[in-house]
Amino acid sequence: MLEIKNLHVSVGDKPILKGLNLRLLAGQVHAIMGPNGSGKSTLSYVLAGRAGYDITEGSILYNGEDLAAMPPEERAAKGVFLAMQYPVEIPGVTTMTFLKTALNAQRRQRGESDLDAIGVLKLVRAKAKTLNVSEEMLRRALNVGFSGGEKKRLEILQMAVFEPRLAILDETDSGLDIDALRLVAEGVNALRSPERAMLVITHYQRLLDYIVPDRIHVLAQGRIVAEGGKELALELEAKGYEHIVGQAA
Amino acid sequence: MTALATRRAEARALFEGHGLPTRRVEEWKYSDLKAALGAPEKIGEESAGWTLGALPPGVESFDLAGADVPDWALPHMASNAMGAASLAFARAGVALRVSGAVTEPLRLDLSRTGHLRVVLVLEPGASATLVEQAAAAAWRNVGVDIVLGEGARLDHIRLSPAAPQAVLVAEYFILVAAKARYHGHFADFGARLSRAELQVALAGEGAAAHLSGVAVLDAKRHADVTTHIIHRQGGTRSTQLFKNVAGGGARAVYQGKVTVAKGADGSDSLQTAKALLLNETAEADLKPELEIFADDVKCAHGAAVGDLDADSLFYLRTRGIPEAEARALLIHAFLEDALAEIAAEDMRGGVREAVGAALAGLA
Repeated sequence: MLEIKNLHVSVGDKPILKGLNLRLLAGQVHAIMGPNGSGKSTLSYVLAGRAGYDITEGSILYNGEDLAAMPPEERAAKGVFLAMQYPVEIPGVTTMTFLKTALNAQRRQRGESDLDAIGVLKLVRAKAKTLNVSEEMLRRALNVGFSGGEKKRLEILQMAVFEPRLAILDETDSGLDIDALRLVAEGVNALRSPERAMLVITHYQRLLDYIVPDRIHVLAQGRIVAEGGKELALELEAKGYEHIVGQAA
Repeated sequence: MTALATRRAEARALFEGHGLPTRRVEEWKYSDLKAALGAPEKIGEESAGWTLGALPPGVESFDLAGADVPDWALPHMASNAMGAASLAFARAGVALRVSGAVTEPLRLDLSRTGHLRVVLVLEPGASATLVEQAAAAAWRNVGVDIVLGEGARLDHIRLSPAAPQAVLVAEYFILVAAKARYHGHFADFGARLSRAELQVALAGEGAAAHLSGVAVLDAKRHADVTTHIIHRQGGTRSTQLFKNVAGGGARAVYQGKVTVAKGADGSDSLQTAKALLLNETAEADLKPELEIFADDVKCAHGAAVGDLDADSLFYLRTRGIPEAEARALLIHAFLEDALAEIAAEDMRGGVREAVGAALAGLA
């Protein structure tokens, strides 16, 4: 599904990722853990196609295609989804209108026909219910006045509606209380499937109690410095990043 | 000499005294009328045209083509720099008087080159909707007097479709009595020079004026809204919300002055103007201004010029929305709160459509 080889990324003139390797197969959930400033968000932005993140070396293959060559909208249409750490607020566009516009934009790029307003409404409502996203939220302007938990729930709702093949969750646990965290994690777990791969990026082990990964990668100073099974998260929690990063150095 | 002839003579003397306003006149700082008009030697000779839709019951009209004007209209015919010219030279126009609640909108279409005068008087307690549409012409100068009696309510919508070659200026003199409410929305798609000046007097306790507008400008188009709201009495309220989008080499102007007169205590005023520039060659000038001589007033103003938010654009694109569509969505979103100020739903729909069409052609 995703194969990252020797990836070097600079922001401005500053190198952030310095030779990152990662292989993610369909059906797998991998976690990327790392201290602040290790390059976690840079990785998520580079995968989604943000301007200003320059790949200076290496490659990203998504289902055998060069992901870096695609504009962000094409990546989305081909099934890449990034649940953002800080979803943006867009006054003047209702959440429902946004979902309909985005879903149909993706469908059009795939050569599928538009879903009509009622079709989208039905689809969104069914998914919204399980994520505890209210009708009122769907009528409000996108993310405007939403609490941290509401914003994250809406990101997961989008994931449920768009049904991506590769989902990247960037610090989806930040700013969530335990109930919201559980709700979001249940939403994510419901979407685990043999056809779908997920990359869960997080600073804390807490989220991984709920979304149990197949594999954990530790990112530090722009490189993967350690890998292991789910037990690695517990070790990190107990001993801290310094310990693992120090060992690797 | 009729009373109207006397007023015309006075206005003519006034206009000939100062001539066309130059950019040294504060209200005309950003719109160079002289340059846009060239040297119009025959500026006094032409009158523009108007047509009015079917008059609903409760509305009386009077054609101002003749030498007379009804007593209920004459005292309200005001003048300023260009208002003096329309008062002096217009031999066309219409005076309208509304009594009671009129739900059917009054539709006024302006056409042709020249001067024009319009008077709209709402009797105390009356209510109406005025929809004004300005067709292209070489140039046109329209003076509009709007008088709201006590407790009256007017919803006014002015649509100025794109007129790349036209020079269209209008001066509005709006008097709002106690407990009356004026609601005006100005949608302008730009001309060689398009300008609306509004002088609003909140003349009685509890009077309110809500002004809003959108401008969507392309190519070398220019649109200017200049407002001056005077809170003459206490407990009066005014809000202003103007949103401009400029692409090409267009220029959007908002100048707004709010004066709270001595003794107009407890007045509220809110003034917001924002512009979105789509490229380096587009320009916006936003100048909100406050003048307060009273106590215990709540006045706020803000102005901001910017371009499309890169984070928002990226977010939408990661959701599969192609760049051009994402930009259009964000521009619509930027204008949305100003459009939402239009109270009547069908009118709002009409303006929104016009905005959509203008945005579709925007570079």
